[in-house]
Amino acid sequence: MRAYSASSEEAVRARDLLKDWAGENFLTAAQYQRMEQETVCDSRRTNIFLRLVLFLFTLIIVGAAVALFFVVFLSNPGQRTTGVFLLIFAVLSYAGAELAVSQARLYRYGIEEALAACSVGFLCVGTQGAFFSGHRFAQDGAEFLVPAAGAISSLWIWHRFGLPYASLAAMIFVLWLPGYWTSSHPAQHSIVAAFYAVGLSIVAAVRPRHRSTYLNDRYSIAEALLWLGIYVAINLQLSSVNLLGQWWGGPRTTAAEFTRPFYWATWVLIWCLPPIVLARGVRRKDRFVIAAGAIAAILTLVTNKSYLDWQRHTWDPVLLGALLIGVALFIRRWLAAGPGQIRHGFTAQRLSGKDKQWMSVGSTALGLISPNVITPSPQAGSPDVRFGGGDSGGGGATSDF
Amino acid sequence: MPSPGCIAPRPEKKDCMTILTRLEQWKERGIISSEQHTLLAGLSRSEPFSLFLELNILLYAGILAFVGGLGWTVSTWSQQLGDVLVLTILSAMLAACFWYCFSRAPAWSPRETSSPGLVLDYVLYLGSLIWSVELAYVENRFHLLSGQWDLYLLATAGLFFFLAYRFDNRFVLSLALSSLAGWFGLTVSHWPSHQDAAYRRYAILYSLMTGGAGAILQRRGLKPHFFGTYLNIAANVLFWALLSGVFNREGYVVWLLCLLAACGASLAWGIKRRQFSFVAYAAVYGYVGVSAILVRDMSDGTAILSYFFVTGIAMLVLIVQIARRFGREA
Repeated sequence: MRAYSASSEEAVRARDLLKDWAGENFLTAAQYQRMEQETVCDSRRTNIFLRLVLFLFTLIIVGAAVALFFVVFLSNPGQRTTGVFLLIFAVLSYAGAELAVSQARLYRYGIEEALAACSVGFLCVGTQGAFFSGHRFAQDGAEFLVPAAGAISSLWIWHRFGLPYASLAAMIFVLWLPGYWTSSHPAQHSIVAAFYAVGLSIVAAVRPRHRSTYLNDRYSIAEALLWLGIYVAINLQLSSVNLLGQWWGGPRTTAAEFTRPFYWATWVLIWCLPPIVLARGVRRKDRFVIAAGAIAAILTLVTNKSYLDWQRHTWDPVLLGALLIGVALFIRRWLAAGPGQIRHGFTAQRLSGKDKQWMSVGSTALGLISPNVITPSPQAGSPDVRFGGGDSGGGGATSDF
Repeated sequence: MPSPGCIAPRPEKKDCMTILTRLEQWKERGIISSEQHTLLAGLSRSEPFSLFLELNILLYAGILAFVGGLGWTVSTWSQQLGDVLVLTILSAMLAACFWYCFSRAPAWSPRETSSPGLVLDYVLYLGSLIWSVELAYVENRFHLLSGQWDLYLLATAGLFFFLAYRFDNRFVLSLALSSLAGWFGLTVSHWPSHQDAAYRRYAILYSLMTGGAGAILQRRGLKPHFFGTYLNIAANVLFWALLSGVFNREGYVVWLLCLLAACGASLAWGIKRRQFSFVAYAAVYGYVGVSAILVRDMSDGTAILSYFFVTGIAMLVLIVQIARRFGREA
């Protein structure tokens, strides 16, 4: 059922861990060399940058090839014809991905990933064109099959190739499903949350069997995404259809749009869910689930005032920032005070070279971005004059201050 | 002992070992010691579980929210609060941050120095951002250097460079580089005409300066690990500037030649130093630049699509060859 054998996946995982440990001097160079020789796998891999470039150029090739086919061989094709051919291209793309794995032994190489992604895209557009554009099926209420096909094919690709982002794609397709079944917003939110909850319960049931295998990380990411998905589905201030309008100063989602019991039930839930997710992540020592819980907790704090329709203040971010800093410092101090700087199996010390790598890349990128992010835009009708004048700036000293 | 995860009944099942099984075997064969086995088996089971990255992200997000809110509050309520109160609060926070950093920092070394704790780096970052907020406030309220806004950015960049090198802090180094870029940008904005051309020239000058300065500092052994930051920023600014020249309708040939030369250099550097981000820059920026020239006068859809199909395959083959020869490590 999976494109890669368990032994290949375990060998890849072992090689990554060995490299990490050798980088942290937990292993000598001689030990590393000997152990690495015993974890040889036949999969072809590359680094993240070349992987991204290969993904991009594969998309260009497939896109150009398909467009070229339509331009050269079909003049003004109908939507149905286009759809049928796109379905054929979906099959070809998927076959290409399978071949790239089975014959060329590509593993996270960009090429097979782009082919798999194209197959999902062609399948959805092709299904829409072949069966639902101006045809009688469109009136049968079966159009939900388009996102359903996208969700199922994404899930299959997640399972078959182990691409973590395919599970996210499946979740995004699920968002479109309830719109075909009901116009009621509460029902739509509930259906999406129910789908994610079903997915979560399946993942939670399957995970314990794979605790010490390469599949643990895969299920961990899927579980974290599902928790976040459920949270976003029930937080009406985030998942409102008018979300973009709200961000640009439009009207906020209020209780009037929903039945009062539903609105306030979701408010209770957005406070209950983050501690549950955090507790589960901490208990299982699951990095991604802990991150999902922390993000959900921060989002609850950020959206709470909108929920209650309370006035926002300019100093709200200051309080939030102080809280986050305080929590981080408290946890660090508390962990550091434990024997060997460890408490309950947790430590604030860096144990992996990957963390250092992430910090290095992140500090460069975030250091460049942050001056723009923190620059405040004055509120309309603020009691003070608006500063202005210059055009740009660095280090936070922007002219739009 | 086969792991429960090896579910596929394949011929290689006997080789399907989890990392824990492998570690056990390596210990039995004397490749690793018992102590190493205990440590590594624990690490692979996340015991202990490191919250290092999470705490760093939490601190970073907290500081960003804090300073963002501070700036928003100050800009909104400055008249009600009064200049004296605002400046006193900001100055006190600034002084506290810098006092903390200078009193806790280890002795300076030109080499990479590890921070004495998680907090110092972020207190320095907080202080740097508060400095920016205060400086912007002073100028906007009192117009001390009206018309010479760029000098603030230059001074800020200088301060941030000093702090970055004193405390070995990449966050602040990035702030310094972005402040310097802001100074270049503002300087050009004072020019009356030919804005695009002037911006392009200054962007190229900026990238050459930062890249050159980074190289010199690395050669002199002054925080040589910062060189990657300099080079990545310089390369991206340079490529964007050259691409903007290539997109011109007139006089683009020179820019195209410069772009190709930069791509060649980036490719050679990336392969030689095994820094594959530079290979990616060369491939993507080069492809966009050359395609922009070749496709701009094409009107036939078939020709355009054929171009992308053929050149896409050529690029794919080239990158695969590079990946197979040089970029195998994930």
